[in-house]
Amino acid sequence: MIPSAMANSTETAVESLHHIKSTEPPEWLVPKQELSQAVRAASKLLFSSLKPHCPKSTFDQLLTEGFDAEQIWQQIDLQSQPLLSSLRREVKKFEKHPEEISKFKDGGVGGGEKKKVLEQIETDNVVNDDDDEDDDDMDMDEDEDDEEEEDEEGEEEEKERGTEEESENEGAEKGGIEDKFLKIKELREYLEEDEAREFGLKKKKTKAESKKEEEDTEEEGDDDEDENEGSVDDDDEAQEEEDGLGLFDGNDEEDEDDLENARYEDFFSRKKNKSSKEKAKSRDMLEEDSGSDDEQDVDKRKNGPSKHEKELDKLRSKIEEMEKANLDPKVWTMRGEVTAAQRQKNSALEVDLDFEHNVRPAPVITEEVTASLEDLIKTRISEGMFDDVQKARTSSSKAPREIKELDESKSKKGLAEVYEEEFVQKTDPASAPLTFSDELKKEASMLFKKLCLKLDALSHFHFTPKPVVEDMSIQTNVPALAMEEVAPMAVSDATMLAPEEVFSGKGDIKEEAELTKAERKRRRANKKRKFKAEAAKRMGKKARQMTTVGNNDEGREG
Amino acid sequence: MEIETVPSESKPESNPLPPKPKFEPLKAHEMSDGRVQFRKVSVPPHRYSPLKKYWMDIYTPVYEQMKIDIRMNLKARKVELKTRQDTPDISNLQKCADFVQAFMLGFDVPDAIALLRLDELYVESFEIKDVKTLRGEHLSRAIGRLSGKGGKTKFAIENSTKTRIVIADTKIHLLGSFANIKIARDSLCSLILGSPAGKVYSKLRQVSARLAERF
Repeated sequence: MIPSAMANSTETAVESLHHIKSTEPPEWLVPKQELSQAVRAASKLLFSSLKPHCPKSTFDQLLTEGFDAEQIWQQIDLQSQPLLSSLRREVKKFEKHPEEISKFKDGGVGGGEKKKVLEQIETDNVVNDDDDEDDDDMDMDEDEDDEEEEDEEGEEEEKERGTEEESENEGAEKGGIEDKFLKIKELREYLEEDEAREFGLKKKKTKAESKKEEEDTEEEGDDDEDENEGSVDDDDEAQEEEDGLGLFDGNDEEDEDDLENARYEDFFSRKKNKSSKEKAKSRDMLEEDSGSDDEQDVDKRKNGPSKHEKELDKLRSKIEEMEKANLDPKVWTMRGEVTAAQRQKNSALEVDLDFEHNVRPAPVITEEVTASLEDLIKTRISEGMFDDVQKARTSSSKAPREIKELDESKSKKGLAEVYEEEFVQKTDPASAPLTFSDELKKEASMLFKKLCLKLDALSHFHFTPKPVVEDMSIQTNVPALAMEEVAPMAVSDATMLAPEEVFSGKGDIKEEAELTKAERKRRRANKKRKFKAEAAKRMGKKARQMTTVGNNDEGREG
Repeated sequence: MEIETVPSESKPESNPLPPKPKFEPLKAHEMSDGRVQFRKVSVPPHRYSPLKKYWMDIYTPVYEQMKIDIRMNLKARKVELKTRQDTPDISNLQKCADFVQAFMLGFDVPDAIALLRLDELYVESFEIKDVKTLRGEHLSRAIGRLSGKGGKTKFAIENSTKTRIVIADTKIHLLGSFANIKIARDSLCSLILGSPAGKVYSKLRQVSARLAERF
């Protein structure tokens, strides 16, 4: 780059800047070549002037000839983005360590000048952005939006810068006054302590109160402290939310106190159980509270328990109840299998016990049910359809078998006679001697006849007894079938099949070898006849089918 | 089919074969080359006096119907049987021997005579210890169970199964046909093993009814 050219360009650029500054806002609405040229020159100058401040810049100078507004804007953006972030970092650094600002300040007036220039440049940058957007042939709405955004951004940046400036200024100021600086430190410490105490207390200050306190401390309205307080406020609120549950009430204060001084005895000594939440702890805490923060408590109690405090009380009492319930032995209903000895007398009567009933419940007898039953009975009676069990009569086809009684006396007949009788009965049933029951029957009938005779004689005047002709007819209790047939000497077992099932008489009885010539001829003739008959049948079927199909076959057959 | 007669070429002689000899069945006497056959049945001491009492009842059927010579050897205490010349069948001797043996076991004469008359009757003997080892009181009780009160269980079995039973201390003898003996033996064994008489009766009734039904 040529310095003379640079010097000329700078002059023209500064001139153009002034020109831009002087133009009225409405003039920007209409695109003018003159204005755009001026703007381009000015932005070029600014770009090059800013270049040394940003460490990583891709362009040495802003390229405007033949470039689109968008492209120019991109170049500016590329440069400004890292620059802005670095600036922000610087500001934060100054925030934390205001003494450095004094160094910076002391560094030289040039530094101050530089700063001023920086401010100007940054404001101009904002304005340039607006111009670039105007030059583009974009929609008015978009422009407005962009402008608004840019304006906001600009405002934010200005605000930040403003605050930064303020902080820088004030830091510079403070850096000068030692007393105030020390006081600031003390103030911060005090604030921290106060915060800690605030968190530990159960009776929380209201936001207004806390804010008041903060405001009191904030005499000088330091931004740093504002920001600190802001963050503290946030923390406070968060803490309050947590404490709203009431769980961390006791812990916080003690934690604050004891985290720093945590010792072995605190965790593993019986005197103070820090890990468990018990009533004793709460009592301790209460005592501590009362002990340490009397002044603050007095201040708070004056106002009465707040809503929040009431809620917390309720919750605490609930917790105590639940803990107590857990420690006590359970009620017998919750104890699983309980026998009568393990519960109070008649305690099961009070409890509504639930059983599984496996039986169907008895039907409820209503008038309708009885009416329906009675109707059913009436219809059955009228129809005569009773569901009586009919006795199944066994058809007595066989003669009643004689039940042989076990004779327990010594048999009078010898064994030979016994077998003899058996043999005779087998072969010739008719001539078998009478059985014992038959003899008994005979005797009984004789007796009865005698009795009847006597009674008849007594009852009838003109009674003449008939001549009793006793013919010795031996009647044996033998099945009629046995009487009829002549029993064969050798009894063979009957086959399971009936004779007709064994052989029905049809078919070829004689073997091929046994047949005579004539018989063989007859057989063959029979076969042939059968075959012919079947063949004729088949032909008849086919003929019937053929007729349905067509006439050709008929013609052929014909 | 036609059978062709093949001329016998094996025999050069034209003489016809001699006729088959016809032999008459041997008589008891001629058996064993004409020698006499004997049977000897020993008499136990407790059957001595009954033998004396029923001697004629034993002697008559044996001598007259079976045609076997019978005598009592007092010195040897044995009954001896001998075939005669006119003994029709050799089995008569054995039958008579069985008959006498049955009497010696303890059966009555009318019961034992069945052996002479029927072929299929047998005598079976067994001991209580064959069925179950019993000692002392148990044995006595078993014997008591077998016979029953006044012998009624024994008679019940006899009557229902058409057998005759002799309970001689620990020995039991049965006389009857094969199937009947089996039934009687089963009931006796069950009695020995300990089943009550009522159970045995019911079984007997069933079995005898079944036996009667068969024909």
